[in-house]
Amino acid sequence: MSEHTVRLASAVIAAVGAAVTAYLLYVRQAGGALVCSTGGCETVQSSAYAEVLGVPVAALGLVGFLGLFLAALARGEWARLSQATLALAALLFSAYLLYIQLVVIGATCEWCLASDALTATIVALALLRLRLGEARPRVT
Amino acid sequence: MTRLANNRWRFAVVIVVGAALAAALIGASQVGAEQTQTGELAPAVDPPFAGIEQRGVVLGSSVAPVTLVEYADLQCPYCAQWSRETLPVLVAEYVEAGKLRIVFHGLAFIGADSDKALRTAIAAGHDDHLWDVVHGLYARQGAENSGWVTDELVREIASGVRGLDGEKLLSARWESSVEPELKRGVAAAGRAGVHSTPAFQIGRTGGRLELVEISSLGPDGIRPAIEAVLAG
Repeated sequence: MSEHTVRLASAVIAAVGAAVTAYLLYVRQAGGALVCSTGGCETVQSSAYAEVLGVPVAALGLVGFLGLFLAALARGEWARLSQATLALAALLFSAYLLYIQLVVIGATCEWCLASDALTATIVALALLRLRLGEARPRVT
Repeated sequence: MTRLANNRWRFAVVIVVGAALAAALIGASQVGAEQTQTGELAPAVDPPFAGIEQRGVVLGSSVAPVTLVEYADLQCPYCAQWSRETLPVLVAEYVEAGKLRIVFHGLAFIGADSDKALRTAIAAGHDDHLWDVVHGLYARQGAENSGWVTDELVREIASGVRGLDGEKLLSARWESSVEPELKRGVAAAGRAGVHSTPAFQIGRTGGRLELVEISSLGPDGIRPAIEAVLAG
């Protein structure tokens, strides 16, 4: 798989993630009901953990996915490192939020789980990209 | 050798910076959640209901021209924030003046402590002290589903309310007399299209109630809706 293909796949997945988090943020701000088959979405969204110091987690997710989208489109070493770093941070924070849902709140939100799966996929792709873009030995 | 070292360095940077970013977010999340759940965002106030008529789930005069219905889960931190920041203002400005009556419809969707707290409040409502107990529960709201609605907590809240017996309250909350109000709250929320808490309906007393989109959890978030119904 070429780095170009990995970048393209990452950008598409990040765009889907941005759409998911934008939907969560829109419903939260509009005060509507989430489409939710697990029944736990409202519980999670009404939880004290739905915000980080006043900022909705969905807004953080949207910013994160947009950052991953831009990093996927950009070329070069800084883009590779930025994408991998941001993706890893997002995955660790997602793992923490998943723990909160399962253990503290006792409810899960399927949109959050979808976002977690997308994040995990982007991490795998970002690490693959980092590997594909490994620095070549200099020929002197 | 140089290539291997270079790649190790790159992966190390990614892991260290990524973990640091995540740790900062997790720390901020924990601090924010603790502040919300312990009420540090706004200080708790003294019970604002002294001398105000309470009857069942209703606070205020039965002939007040405007009715505001509050849908809340007693474990919901934003409901607690609204109760601390806005309810006392509404009581002082409208309920005491006989302009507004507020109806409490409890929901218990967050978990077991929601159900226990709501049953306690409804049982207190049978002695016309629901709003006192709701206020006491919000003021002492603990971490979600941590088992914070203890018997000791109920006794402590009851001991601060004249005319309320803690032991009687502890047994009354499991009696069948609580069930109708539990069902009424769920049914009313379903009819109103309430999907999250806190949520509010407002209208002329005895007339049609409309859902209110509050712009904030502060008094200014709901005051325009009250003024509009009073003026209409």
